[in-house]
Amino acid sequence: MENTLLNILFVLLLLVVTANLIRLWKPFGRSSFISSVLLIMAVIAFIALIVVRTTIGGRIPFANSYEFTLLFAGGILIFAIFVRRGLVSPLFDISVALLAILLLSVASTFSSEIRPLMPALQSGWLYAHVATAVVAYGSFALAACLGIIYLGRAQETDLSLSAVDERIYKLVVLGFTFLTIVIITGAVWAEEVWGSWWTWDPKETWSLVTWLVYAAYLHSRHSYDWKGRKSAWMVVIGFAIVMFTLFGVSVLLPGLHSYV
Amino acid sequence: MMINKWLKQLTQTLASMQTAIYLLLIVGVVSALGTFIPQGQTPTFYMQHYGEITSLIINGLGLGTLYHVWWFQLLIILLCLSILTCAYQRLRRVKKITVLASLLMHLAVVFILIGALWSLGYSHSSFIEIARGQTVSLNNYGFENGRLTLNDFKIDYYPDFQPRQYSSDLSLINYKGKNIEQSISVNHPLKAGSLKIYQSTWGWVMQLTNLTDTTGTIISLKDKDYFLFDEKEQIKVQAIFLPDFEDSESGIHSKSPLPNHPHVWLTLLQQGKIVDMAIIPVGDEVHLGSYHLRFDIFFPYSGLQIKQDSGVYMVFAGFIILLAGLGMRYWFVFMDKKGAN
Ligand code: HEM
Repeated sequence: MENTLLNILFVLLLLVVTANLIRLWKPFGRSSFISSVLLIMAVIAFIALIVVRTTIGGRIPFANSYEFTLLFAGGILIFAIFVRRGLVSPLFDISVALLAILLLSVASTFSSEIRPLMPALQSGWLYAHVATAVVAYGSFALAACLGIIYLGRAQETDLSLSAVDERIYKLVVLGFTFLTIVIITGAVWAEEVWGSWWTWDPKETWSLVTWLVYAAYLHSRHSYDWKGRKSAWMVVIGFAIVMFTLFGVSVLLPGLHSYV
Repeated sequence: MMINKWLKQLTQTLASMQTAIYLLLIVGVVSALGTFIPQGQTPTFYMQHYGEITSLIINGLGLGTLYHVWWFQLLIILLCLSILTCAYQRLRRVKKITVLASLLMHLAVVFILIGALWSLGYSHSSFIEIARGQTVSLNNYGFENGRLTLNDFKIDYYPDFQPRQYSSDLSLINYKGKNIEQSISVNHPLKAGSLKIYQSTWGWVMQLTNLTDTTGTIISLKDKDYFLFDEKEQIKVQAIFLPDFEDSESGIHSKSPLPNHPHVWLTLLQQGKIVDMAIIPVGDEVHLGSYHLRFDIFFPYSGLQIKQDSGVYMVFAGFIILLAGLGMRYWFVFMDKKGAN
């Protein structure tokens, strides 16, 4: 059941990519509407997947690499529905769908076995920490997708460039606020479970690096009026660092966090 | 006069946004660098693993303890000073609530960093292993007076015998004039002011009696540990605890982690080579090489992390102020377009 839903999700996302490639090549009427419908169907498939897994496992799927990557992909799709309002851009839809496909593929390489929670994970902080991380990383992902259309074929969009830039800024603000909460809930939890709120473990350190990069974005925008291309580059690079924090660190730099 | 001018220039540099952005990015890059170098190893380790020149750089700059090295802390202090000078300059211009909010959140960052430095200097922590029924005195471990007793230790398993939770029933007697009885488990530490006691690890201890001579020495061994009989000949015994012993076709093993059929697996080694081996239940004795041992009793021990840290109050206060500032600052970005920038 779960695997079938996952496959349906893959197919829908591939259809989004195909439909939008056709749109890029030869725009046709109601094409943005078709893309919207496909994306909404993908979101429904994702929600069904989470419901099924919650029912089977008897707990919310918040606890390992597989589940977190799944949530991350779904969060991006849900956010995209809101972010693309008034934004008619095949390139944006393609980048969102490709990113979700990439994440789901990464998820498929992790074990999807439903395991009971180990003692360290039995904490309300787990849910606060993971839920805010989905929002934070989801915002940064969409900021990066908008950054790509800004840097790439920006003339495809209906919105003016400065409106896209403004949307990127708002996403970064949302992401930065939530990343702050992610780090704080993580620190409070670490104090409760390991007896130390900060240990410079690689995952912690890289989340701090991410935080500093987006803080630099906010400051440079504020003071030097760094808008447009330069700040678009910053959100793309920022998101590359997010991806490294998520996957690179687990593979290359094992630490206390190695189970997530 | 000169000094005044010089100071003015310094504060101006510190308060400039350019300096702030550079500092943010430098701290970021340096912290990231530290994740690629194993931390806390000996200088010899880096020499063996990184070649001559690289290890010279690592050891010379202190990259092996990067987050504690003086120049990294200097960077953090510079960041604090930059935030403070900057905040001071804006203090006079607080007219909009967004500026107040931003001031709050910058001061919160300074608060957190000072709390962290405080913890680095004044916190104390210690790891102890305590058997069921044992009492230890906390000032032997560098804390204030107080006696800590492990009354009981329990492990709760899932059906597949993965641990669900482990917990220690503790009494803390006469700590700052108070007595505390509490059961702690992973994620639920005991808190007594700035002292915290965490459930960290656990294991089994076995008690053997050495019957080889008439003295009858008692040997306490943790699961899988060695006891050295003879230093010169390098004769030692290893004790492996088999809580639910079974000798089946697939070999000797423990059917479950529950102590349903407790045995000890003793291995006598000389110069690293196995000389003799035996598996015996509780109460039995055995001749092992030229030694005669009895397996008296076994019990669980609990590994506790004890920590005293008052810097953490400051850090957590900083967290709350930071969240309040962020919430106030960005409410306007989403709700009130005029308030934003
Ligand atoms: C870890 C360090 C820092 C963090 C996390 C941080 C965070 C922030 C954030 C989130 C904003 C709001 C930006 C916006 O919404 O546009 C901001 C604004 C600002 N920051 Fe920082 N900051 C830090 C360090 C500094 C330093 C060192 C300076 C000193 C030069 C500084 C000066 C400013 C100024 C002038 C503003 C704009 C003023 C305002 O929004 O009222 N910040 N900072």
